[in-house]
Amino acid sequence: MRTFLKIVGGLVVLGIVVLLAIIFVPVQRTPAQTALAADWQPQEGHGEYAMRLSDCMACHTEEGGEPFAGNRAIESPLGTIYSTNITPDDETGIGGWSLADFRAALYDGVRPDGTHLYPAMPYENFRHIGEEDLRAMYDYFMTEVPPVRQEVEETSLTFPFNQRWGLRLWKWVALDDAGFTPDTDDPVLARGQYLVEGPGHCAACHSPRNMVMAQAGTGAGDDAFLMGGEVAGWTAPPLRGPQSAIRGWTEADVAMILGTGRNAHAALNGEMQLVARDSTQYFTEDDLQAVARFLIGLNEPLDPAAETRDDRVTETEQLLASATPDMDLGARLYLDNCNACHFVDGRGADEVFPELAGNSLVTAESPRGLLTMILGGSQLPSTALRPYRLRMPGFAHRLDDDEVAALASFLRSAWGNAAAEVDAGTVADVRDAQL
Amino acid sequence: MPPKIPHTTRRLFLGSSASAAVLAGLPIRAQTPAEPDISLEDYTPEFLDAAEWAFILAATARIIPSEGEGPGALETRVPVFIDRQLAGDFGAAVDLYMEGPFVADADPFLGTQSPLTPAEVYRQAIPAFDAWCERTQGAGFGALAPEVQDAALQALADGETDLAPELRDFWALLLQNTKEGYFADPMYGGNAGMQSWIYIGFPGARANFLEWVGRDEVYPMGPVNIAGERA
Repeated sequence: MRTFLKIVGGLVVLGIVVLLAIIFVPVQRTPAQTALAADWQPQEGHGEYAMRLSDCMACHTEEGGEPFAGNRAIESPLGTIYSTNITPDDETGIGGWSLADFRAALYDGVRPDGTHLYPAMPYENFRHIGEEDLRAMYDYFMTEVPPVRQEVEETSLTFPFNQRWGLRLWKWVALDDAGFTPDTDDPVLARGQYLVEGPGHCAACHSPRNMVMAQAGTGAGDDAFLMGGEVAGWTAPPLRGPQSAIRGWTEADVAMILGTGRNAHAALNGEMQLVARDSTQYFTEDDLQAVARFLIGLNEPLDPAAETRDDRVTETEQLLASATPDMDLGARLYLDNCNACHFVDGRGADEVFPELAGNSLVTAESPRGLLTMILGGSQLPSTALRPYRLRMPGFAHRLDDDEVAALASFLRSAWGNAAAEVDAGTVADVRDAQL
Repeated sequence: MPPKIPHTTRRLFLGSSASAAVLAGLPIRAQTPAEPDISLEDYTPEFLDAAEWAFILAATARIIPSEGEGPGALETRVPVFIDRQLAGDFGAAVDLYMEGPFVADADPFLGTQSPLTPAEVYRQAIPAFDAWCERTQGAGFGALAPEVQDAALQALADGETDLAPELRDFWALLLQNTKEGYFADPMYGGNAGMQSWIYIGFPGARANFLEWVGRDEVYPMGPVNIAGERA
């Protein structure tokens, strides 16, 4: 008995020691992955460009706020996380940070005082950013971004997620090795892989999350990499695999939509609009091509037999073109509300009206993105090459929940689309969430 | 005081849009209807007073009569359209250049010359025209027999009713507004139940008929309005 108590007591003491160690022993920071000369200086514009590649702006700028002054509310499954002020203000920003501090935030998700950052900051991906880009970005934030004094809302999640020390354990499980080694000798593909896996942090939304809510795939070698995720109620579509949103697209199509927000097939929606607005439209043509080639390379080439689908007149098309008064409500609502722009073949018009046939938003497993689009509409960001902010109106005032459900169910089964029906209750939920 | 209802058109007041559509065996839209239209008898005008309202009912009932082909102005609630337009921006001439000089008796080819807004034209012309009817026909417009009403309106159209120069556009306005109320989207109060669209085969605000261009066939589907209602 006494021995047993001793063992239990010993385990308790050990547990407490480990816990205290987890909380108080400083985190080992990941060092620079490439040694640069101490007097290494970024070329003019490099830092700002690296910032664009990493899209710091979208999260660290409030709608209508000063650039990089933070305070943008980011909805996460755990609660609302407020982004921090990353202007070089000494008191409320990162003015006092050293290069090593900056690197530790990007690579290890820790602040200079050792506080762990929530993984809303995509250090799972940023730890693959190269030292040149990282130093250029540091230089940009310290010397080119004007300091803004702004305190941000404190993030207060519910227990246990407010115990930030727990993130140290999470990181042991979630983080892979820092640094970047391409899987290929092809310099264009390698560049594309770097941009997608590192600064572009595509996997933060487009990879599913695993049981501990870490990205289930952060690199091209992972099965779940870019197989689709969810962000703020919207589905971030898979970019590879059988449901790939870019299936059948060319490299030029991918480069086009990233550079301008629209292409012959689709228009960006949801949070991805911010990515084009603040980040990808600033990519050089070479970098857009590299990203496009890498992403297309993750997809199986289309079966030539499947491609002939495009030239066949579908049953849906025939039904809609007949304009018979007794067609089902969903089809009738399509003619009344959608057909003017998206046409009976569901193919819309290049760069203006997205295709609905094979559209990843329409056929996503969760219909919430589609319902949000039908009810609230959407407006494309203005980009340098395509400045016009094309807008789809919302139909919330025109269609009731049953009608939206019928229309959405029609869209999800038309022109060869094969996604599940939508019920009116789901529509009511989305409508409530929009108000 | 309730509006004085001319006896010749009383039976037509049955026709609020929904009941008329039912009587005519037309398909009723399947979705939850908005506020059902109250009958013209119970409608409280926003702009027109009782005598003006009675005149508009009587006059529009002759301009687009209910006898004969197609729905008339009353079943399609044209008077409601006119009342709402006069109460709103159209009546107040918001979109018209209303600074002088006004030369009310200038050549009609020089366009609108009246210093009055459309609402003021209606307000002043209705009693003036009614007085002309009393003087020449022995009774106010509403009390005249339909054939006499038609003749009076013809005289009005021909400029033979002694209206002041600044009121000379009254007939043109009344005719134009009656047509607009008959054919405009129901959201403006007229064209109740899209009856005029059904009658002429206009498919409404659907905006794309690409597959039907050049086909010598009747487009089979009923109309849809801006609110998304179907008929």
